[in-house]
Amino acid sequence: MLIDKIVAKIPGARAEGNETPTIVVAPGDYRALALFLRDDEETRCDFMVCMTGADRGESLGVVVLLESTTLGHRVYVETTTTDREHPALPTVSDLWETANLNEREVYDYFGIRFSGHPDMRRLFLRNDWVGYPLRKDYDASEAANPVRLESDESPDVTLSCREDGGEETRSLFDDEEYVVNIGPQHPATHGVLRFRVALEGEIVKKVDVHCGYIHRGIEKMCENLSYPQMLPLADRLDYLAAHQHRHALCLCIEEALQLEVPERVKYIRTIMDELNRLSSHLLFWSTLCMDLGALTAFFYGFRDREKVLDIMEETTGGRLIQHYNVIGGVSADIHPNFTRRIKEFIKYLPPMLKEYDQVFTGNVIARQRMEGIGVLSREDAISFGVTGPSGRASGWACDVRKRRPYGVYDKVDFKEIVYTEGDSYRRYLVRVKEIVESLRILEQLVDNIPAGDFAVKTKPVIKLPEGRYFKSVEGSRGEFGVYIESRGEKTPYRLKFRSTSFPLVSVVPHLARGNKIADLIAIGGTLDYIVPDVDR
Amino acid sequence: MNSVNRYIVNFFAGLRSLLVGMRTTLRVFFRKKTTERYPENRKELVMFDRFRGELVLLHDSENRHKCIACGICEVNCPNSTIRLTSEMVTDEAGKKKKVLIEYSYDHGSCLFCQLCARTCPQRALDFVPTFEHAVFTREKLVHKLNREGSTLAPKPVAENLTV
Amino acid sequence: MFDFSVITQWIDQLLRGVMPDAAALVVECVLIGLALLLGYAVIALALIYVERKVCAWFQCRLGPNRVGPFGLLQSVADMIKMLIKEIIEIKHVDRFLFGLAPYIVIIASVAAFSCLPFAKGLQVLDFNVGIFFLVAVSSIGIVGILLAGWASNNKYSLIGAMRSGAQMISYELSIGLSILTMVVLSGTLQITELVEGQADGWFLFKGHLPALIAFVVYLVAGTAETNRGPFDLPEADSELTAGYHTEYSGMHFGFFYLAEYLNMFIVAGVAATLFLGGWMPLHVPGWEGFNEVMDYIPSLLWFLGKVGVMIFVIMWFKWTFPRLRIDQLLRLEWKYLLPINLLNLLLMVVVVVYKLHF
Repeated sequence: MLIDKIVAKIPGARAEGNETPTIVVAPGDYRALALFLRDDEETRCDFMVCMTGADRGESLGVVVLLESTTLGHRVYVETTTTDREHPALPTVSDLWETANLNEREVYDYFGIRFSGHPDMRRLFLRNDWVGYPLRKDYDASEAANPVRLESDESPDVTLSCREDGGEETRSLFDDEEYVVNIGPQHPATHGVLRFRVALEGEIVKKVDVHCGYIHRGIEKMCENLSYPQMLPLADRLDYLAAHQHRHALCLCIEEALQLEVPERVKYIRTIMDELNRLSSHLLFWSTLCMDLGALTAFFYGFRDREKVLDIMEETTGGRLIQHYNVIGGVSADIHPNFTRRIKEFIKYLPPMLKEYDQVFTGNVIARQRMEGIGVLSREDAISFGVTGPSGRASGWACDVRKRRPYGVYDKVDFKEIVYTEGDSYRRYLVRVKEIVESLRILEQLVDNIPAGDFAVKTKPVIKLPEGRYFKSVEGSRGEFGVYIESRGEKTPYRLKFRSTSFPLVSVVPHLARGNKIADLIAIGGTLDYIVPDVDR
Repeated sequence: MNSVNRYIVNFFAGLRSLLVGMRTTLRVFFRKKTTERYPENRKELVMFDRFRGELVLLHDSENRHKCIACGICEVNCPNSTIRLTSEMVTDEAGKKKKVLIEYSYDHGSCLFCQLCARTCPQRALDFVPTFEHAVFTREKLVHKLNREGSTLAPKPVAENLTV
Repeated sequence: MFDFSVITQWIDQLLRGVMPDAAALVVECVLIGLALLLGYAVIALALIYVERKVCAWFQCRLGPNRVGPFGLLQSVADMIKMLIKEIIEIKHVDRFLFGLAPYIVIIASVAAFSCLPFAKGLQVLDFNVGIFFLVAVSSIGIVGILLAGWASNNKYSLIGAMRSGAQMISYELSIGLSILTMVVLSGTLQITELVEGQADGWFLFKGHLPALIAFVVYLVAGTAETNRGPFDLPEADSELTAGYHTEYSGMHFGFFYLAEYLNMFIVAGVAATLFLGGWMPLHVPGWEGFNEVMDYIPSLLWFLGKVGVMIFVIMWFKWTFPRLRIDQLLRLEWKYLLPINLLNLLLMVVVVVYKLHF
């Protein structure tokens, strides 16, 4: 019905699929369709979940997954261009802020230029990189791209393409500006991320994000790996949500195979997800305290996180990278000590949380450093695609566990922590309170794990039926999605990870502008991005 | 007057929050410390038995392993960590058989994903919870897993192979 | 109570006996200088060790425990490392100022250090404006920090140095005013007289409320003066990597490092002298027996003990609180500490004029 309306509006559009429909349009109608989907009363697709570049052999294009935060439906939009020499598509970066960096990513991987995009630079790869690696005809030989030992200069100018195909250059920083590098080796960027910050005294005027320092090309690697082989790579995206990310990938593959996993597996996976969330949020708390200069608090957090890691290690054999989920179940049954240790931990943590509050949450210095700093409005959060605790602090109830329950989240009672202020302090509070909620979930599940198998048998060679699949879970810092395009082979045709931290990094320039350097650190700390997940 | 009130209230509330924090840290000051005294505690230090330290080819007391050099682990490894060298041998009955010459494992590039051990049809591989693996060069991380002079165990061998 | 001036006078007479007065004076100056530097280095090493242990204990850790028993030799090992490390020459720095900066910082701190009364009769500089002199020389250090930040030709360093400048200038006021409050109570600027004046009770007790307020303000401002957490904005490691001393290496960095610890000792020492009676034992008027027992404890121990307690409190601050932001830092000084201090000074004057003190 809705599809009919769209087709009536944009005559060239063609709809496919039924559950999550795909609307295919010509590049010329792409913007009109995007505008219609965003603004029409019946569609209201205000949230761009992910944008994927795609190489269809003779044509290049993008697949965009849109979602309506009010109506809850999802729709794919696909547009392709047959010009492989100079592919160009209209930009939608002015409609959804998150498209800004995503289009740069597509440009980086596929060489598609987005006309009207203000900043068409490479995002992850070096500026002198030859070719576009995710194109199917990419020359991956060492001759094309030898290991370069000289440093990659970051130019102060950027390019934007006009609709008519012309180019304009624009300088990022003025000559007068005091530009300071924060990163790639900096204690507060939590990894190798680099900000170029223009300062006026202590005040931040502009932030230019440079990613890609630990870009490993995981999406490209996945195209050459079988499904069981790519699982360990999912753990290595956001190492603090390793289990959740692997959960998403397994769910996506299982959904494609229409594989029903035993109830026991769902319970174990849910418990593991929450343990992982606990460890991640405890680490968030610790590192934020350290960023703000309270080094003692940092050790308190790590002391307690160690206990979560021990619980996980006993069952999964891994501390950070666990390799526990497999297609059709988990790799081993839970350890006999598992439930006892979780119960001990549920008793242990609350008094410690009280100490956390005494040392940091209530502290007047910490409060003043976070309250009212880096305010992200609900509209901006949706437009930038800032999900997870950071989005919920802005009043956007975006918890995938509630919106599209997986595992056994529909069977447990927990509260979705939502604040409306959207400042750093609320982002901090959401996570601290989610620690308590995670404990509650664990409490409800740990005694009720049903008996049964811990995995179902799968075929030795797994081939996904043809089609496109998207499945998302609530990672520790937002919605983590896996998009698989299969052509029925044992390797995916295109695989895209909807990163949780990527939108968080893209929002930093917006939040930091006008604040102080110290606030930039606090904003980065409370957004809690993990760099390997950004760079992939 | 209101602002003066707020000034004073804020001042004392702030001061109180600082003192509360100092009380808590002082309490922790006298608590038991959590530092692990490694390497002094090497004797008592027990790793979780599922911890994946390194891959081993299981051998029994008579220096026999179960690897039939089928190469499934080699194919399955996502990082090309495993290299098998084998040769075709004709046994007494005249049947041609693959025999393992060298099972080479690059510890440095192992992802510990367990695909090799999980897919091994002979259950000849396992991970052991050792952890002191530091060496000075990467070459030293490439291990030969089959021991010197080891042979293939006959079919109905006892299941209890050990490291 | 043992008077250290017996020893110093004996040495003086010995020297004068074998050489002319002028030569004796030179020899004495050299001896005193050497003793000072030795004391400076030893105290710094001890403080670095103590800081590490205290910090570790606050953080549920054991702290250094590898070098020597209980890690006692750790800071000695660190010193040796620091001494043999290369001083890296950096391009595009102002070589002269870059080299000069650490010396200014260390000289300022040694000069202030020499004013402290360690024990009865054990004090290097003592003249009628002693405490004034101490405040004056200790603030020369800021010049060194500013120079370090400027000469490094590094953006982080420059921001660190500017922060340091704003911070020192602001907090100097509070230090000065709280010292002034105590000077009003004691009626002298000379350090020996300040200590002697506390023979019948420490100023903290004699001056009761205004002295207590001045004490707290002094501690806060003093911590800020030493650039220690929560006031470590000039070096804010999570923002500016290491602030003004980012580019320094080897012993040049070592000087900044030493000066930081010694400045903490000086602040604690001045706090002990002004408020807790310096080397003066705890005397309660009327309790003769108690006072006599207290007198048996050597004055050096009294001084070091008091300083030790003060240092522990300063460390306790650092290892509990998050770092302030620059505007919070200035707000704390100009909106809270300074008005409180001014009122407190007035209160002290009233107390002294109407003889409301003990």
